[in-house]
Amino acid sequence: MNRNQVIKIGLVFAAPLIIYFLIFFIYPIYLLFKYSFTSASGAFSFINFENMIRDPILYDSLINTLYYFIGSVAVQFSAGFIAAVILNSYTGRLKNAFRSILYIPLTISPIVIALMWLIIFNPTYGPVDYMLDMNLNWLGSMNLAMPTIILANAWEYIPFVFLIIYAGLQSVPKQYYEAASIDGMSRFQTFRYITLPSIRPIMIIAFLLNSIGILQGFTLVYVLTNGGPGFSTYILSFYIYKVAFTYFNLNYASALSLLFLVIIGIYVYAILKLSSVEKYLGIKK
Amino acid sequence: MKKLDAFLLILLIIFSFFALFPIYWTVITALKVNSEIFTIPPVFFPTKITFSNFYTPGTTFGEVSQTAFGSFPWLINSTIIALASSLIGTFVIGAPAAYALTRYLKNVWFARLILFMMMIPEAAFIIPFYVIITKLNMINTWWGLILVYISFTAPLSTWLLMGFFSDIPKSVEEAASIDGLSAFSTFYKIALPMVIPGIMVSIILNFINAWNEFIYALVLTYTPFPTGAQTVPLYLTDFIVIEKSFAWGGLAAAGVIVMLPSIILGIYAQKYLVKGWTMGAVKE
Amino acid sequence: MDNGGSEGIMSEVIVENVTKKFGNFVALDNVNLTIKPKEFFVLLGPSGSGKTTLLRLIAGLEDITEGSIYIGGKKVNDVPPKDRNVAMVFQNYALYPHFNVFDNIALTLKVRGYSKDAIKSRVSEIAKILHIEDILNKKPRELSGGQQQRVALARALVREPSVFLLDEPLSNLDAKLRVEARSFLRSLQKEVGVTTVFVTHDQSEAMALATTIAVLDKGIIKQVGDPYELYTKPKDIFTAGFIGSPAMNMIPGKLVKDGSSWRFVSEDFSVQLINTEFENEYDVILGIRPEHITLVKDDGINAKINNVEPMGAVTYLDIQVGSVELTVQYTGLIKLEAGMEIKVKFVEEKMLFYDRKTEKLLNV
Repeated sequence: MNRNQVIKIGLVFAAPLIIYFLIFFIYPIYLLFKYSFTSASGAFSFINFENMIRDPILYDSLINTLYYFIGSVAVQFSAGFIAAVILNSYTGRLKNAFRSILYIPLTISPIVIALMWLIIFNPTYGPVDYMLDMNLNWLGSMNLAMPTIILANAWEYIPFVFLIIYAGLQSVPKQYYEAASIDGMSRFQTFRYITLPSIRPIMIIAFLLNSIGILQGFTLVYVLTNGGPGFSTYILSFYIYKVAFTYFNLNYASALSLLFLVIIGIYVYAILKLSSVEKYLGIKK
Repeated sequence: MKKLDAFLLILLIIFSFFALFPIYWTVITALKVNSEIFTIPPVFFPTKITFSNFYTPGTTFGEVSQTAFGSFPWLINSTIIALASSLIGTFVIGAPAAYALTRYLKNVWFARLILFMMMIPEAAFIIPFYVIITKLNMINTWWGLILVYISFTAPLSTWLLMGFFSDIPKSVEEAASIDGLSAFSTFYKIALPMVIPGIMVSIILNFINAWNEFIYALVLTYTPFPTGAQTVPLYLTDFIVIEKSFAWGGLAAAGVIVMLPSIILGIYAQKYLVKGWTMGAVKE
Repeated sequence: MDNGGSEGIMSEVIVENVTKKFGNFVALDNVNLTIKPKEFFVLLGPSGSGKTTLLRLIAGLEDITEGSIYIGGKKVNDVPPKDRNVAMVFQNYALYPHFNVFDNIALTLKVRGYSKDAIKSRVSEIAKILHIEDILNKKPRELSGGQQQRVALARALVREPSVFLLDEPLSNLDAKLRVEARSFLRSLQKEVGVTTVFVTHDQSEAMALATTIAVLDKGIIKQVGDPYELYTKPKDIFTAGFIGSPAMNMIPGKLVKDGSSWRFVSEDFSVQLINTEFENEYDVILGIRPEHITLVKDDGINAKINNVEPMGAVTYLDIQVGSVELTVQYTGLIKLEAGMEIKVKFVEEKMLFYDRKTEKLLNV
């Protein structure tokens, strides 16, 4: 088979994907551009981008998104990492059972998590306030609403980080540890010089996938706070939805969508470049 | 060693408590009678168990009601849409594309393209998808949501199956080509059966993701079966908005019904998940 | 229907000026070979020599960069593998894991439109020859390595291919099985009579199986010949060193004309040659096999024993002659110890001289 034949057959196999990609990825991006540069009267215009600069809710949304993002990444990554290290060090028989238990929240729909949180964090009848012996209006307070959303989101996605890093830890060859113990390394030194370097690419991939998942967040805000109180839990994805389907300003919402895509694009590109994990993901020669 | 294990065991039990408590609370709320739901202090171990939150005679079928049974028409939509988008994403698009990318089009740009498709945040595409589905006259239909859900089922399947296809020895396919099979029968008869575990995981993960999806369903559907394509997460939001203050039992019961299939399927697929996500970067 | 058949079995394979490049890397460089019908032809070379690439080119699994390949007189450059009527056994056997043994063997017949009855009788016939009738219902993973190898052979032979290609099929077997499989393969090939191309890096395997061997190194054919020829008259230093175990001794030196006769002079000793003639004086490397160095009482080259390795039927001696270490093969057991001084002599008619510049054999 020569190269041309190889490519021809490959393209036939990939044809459904390519067709789908053109209609449901390229065309949407074209539409976003088209609407973004259209004014209310239908003319070509930069007005939507000019409006962005003067939009205080957008500023709020961006700052909230940053808050939500950094808080979520910090909580999810550290807790997931710690849980993975703990389970990896544990040598008892229940290892696999714990792995399954700690993974379960990941399978649950965000909408179900939202309803769980409504019931559990209810200031009057909820068990959390009772156990803490406090009476906090978690979702109704300007200061607590966002941390509560971060917590609810973390409950679902800590298992994601946990599962990947745990698998990475399990994949470190035993001989490394045996060699380290013969060399007289302490537990901490072994972790620092053997374990961490071995799982570095896995940690970065976990971090990358996790942070993309976090940026997807929408459901919890929509159901738990609807952006409130005030604008305190407006995040970019929620704001796009609001502009599009409550204020029906599709053009401005499209411009915001483009902004969202650009932010994520830069973020992903930066992580890939800074971390050189591309070859592990098979996206670099 | 023993001491350390005991300490770690305590930590693991604490973690497990946090992981399981919300689920436990939802399940017991679904099984409690109202007098044990709305009481101070909260009841941690219900003394009376009831299934009336799931079904009571007189439940209006197809309306948001106080019992979970009312969600049946939404469940029908969810099942059909999740199943169809999962199967199409896996068999029609994902598997052949993954095969092409590991065997024929070994260009890093294709892999990047798949990664790009997986990273698109749903919120950024609600407008174009809304416009496209409106143009196709498919708003509030099964096909409308199925087509849109393929935007995440297909890339995930492709990504995941690329890892599986690249793990099978190429010589088996070469043997098939010498034995006289065409490229296409080699794919269907030889390569595909060799990645059945990957296919299963792909179907399950896609199903879970489609089953749990919310924002597209919110934008693209507005009535339940039989008149429309609203899925079960929307039943829950309606429930929350309408019945927020007084029907926790029914709400929790509906929540149990929604989370049950995804937990069961998720645990089944668990051991292949990491491989799928990281495309074989972790060998377990 | 029967596109194998007896005329297929008589196929000749001609490789004409074939070059294969992977990017800038030249895997095969202008290779020419003729593989005669019914021959057991072995491609021998170290890893990276291009032997497997050549086999894959004949199978049609890779594209030819330049040149042509003919099978049974027909140019096959653009013929896909399935239409070349070749059969191949892969190093890892490449059995279809989800089919049982019967279906593994039968698939190629099904694809080629044989009737159910014909398939059944062909499969059971070939299963009988390969002694695998009892395992036809098993899946490949339930089989031992030796059984898998037989199934792979059966799958390849069931449709009577024109050419039978084997890519190191014995390398995954343990030592004892490998020797058994070798003789089995040899008699099987005689029985079926199919033109066979066999790739290996193991020179003893090549010697045991081949009617003709082609030695490859770095994409170039070094020598083609029968095992006897390759062993006794290797045409260059590479082949000389590659064939034979333990390897041929190599001693750098000079050929000097000494009156009317010639003399081999090395740094540490010199040997008078009586029956050998040369055109010029050369810088050479003397090649001498371990069994062609004999121990003598007097009038020999002085040597010191470094190591003695008694094998039973033979004894290997590592001896030091000045700055070079040589291996000597002594037939039978001998009571010698490391450190002892001995004298040795080279069998003159077995001495091979290679030009140090061209690395080619100078003996006529």
